Amino acid sequence: MERDEIIRVLRAFEEAGLEYVLIGATAMGFHGVVRATEDVDLFIRATAENIDRLRSALRNVYDNDPHIDEISDTDLLGEYPAVRYFPPTGDLYFDVLTRLGEVASFETVEAETKDIQGTRIKLATPIALYRLKRGTLRAQDHADAMLLRERFNLQDEK
Amino acid sequence: MRNKRPVQKFRSIEEMNRAVAQEIGEADFERFFRHCARYWAISPKRFPRGVFKFRNIEEAQEARRNHLLKDQDEKT
Repeated sequence: MERDEIIRVLRAFEEAGLEYVLIGATAMGFHGVVRATEDVDLFIRATAENIDRLRSALRNVYDNDPHIDEISDTDLLGEYPAVRYFPPTGDLYFDVLTRLGEVASFETVEAETKDIQGTRIKLATPIALYRLKRGTLRAQDHADAMLLRERFNLQDEK
Repeated sequence: MRNKRPVQKFRSIEEMNRAVAQEIGEADFERFFRHCARYWAISPKRFPRGVFKFRNIEEAQEARRNHLLKDQDEKT
């Protein structure tokens, strides 16, 4: 994952007015819980207008990559709530989610805003990341949940 | 960044991993990007191009696993 590229993307998100929340290892990294990753996971608000903002932001950064047109409202608002975009730069990819199962979405994830080099980014809070990761099957998610719990002294809710 | 303690001792890998996560000092995101850059230098990947869609996160994770396996096969 290339630093300047991700900063350009986050700036384009802000300029486009995209309603999003970073989750996953990138959000963890911005909270100081660092592990390597090659993907950027984000929830976006599930509306056609917002998906259009996403396409617009990505086109600005990736020189109108024609593949971006394949990110469709019909998919993200319907049967395919997870869309993965591999941009032409080739060293990172985006997992864009409108919902995760029946419980997690842009609206339900607790988020905070940080300023990075003049760009406002919205990312899930440590407790929100912990909640997303603790109940999943993937071993990496369990390890992430442990790191978050220890770093932020998080407690499981009763 | 400069760690507050140049030399640290650990009883186990788990203890060491926890300590790495607890470093403080330089902006967190700079450290994150440096870490990703090192990882990439050690283990570069070849990704496909374009857009792929999934019905759920499990499908997405499975596709990622398959892609990484294919990438490894092509390298060997």
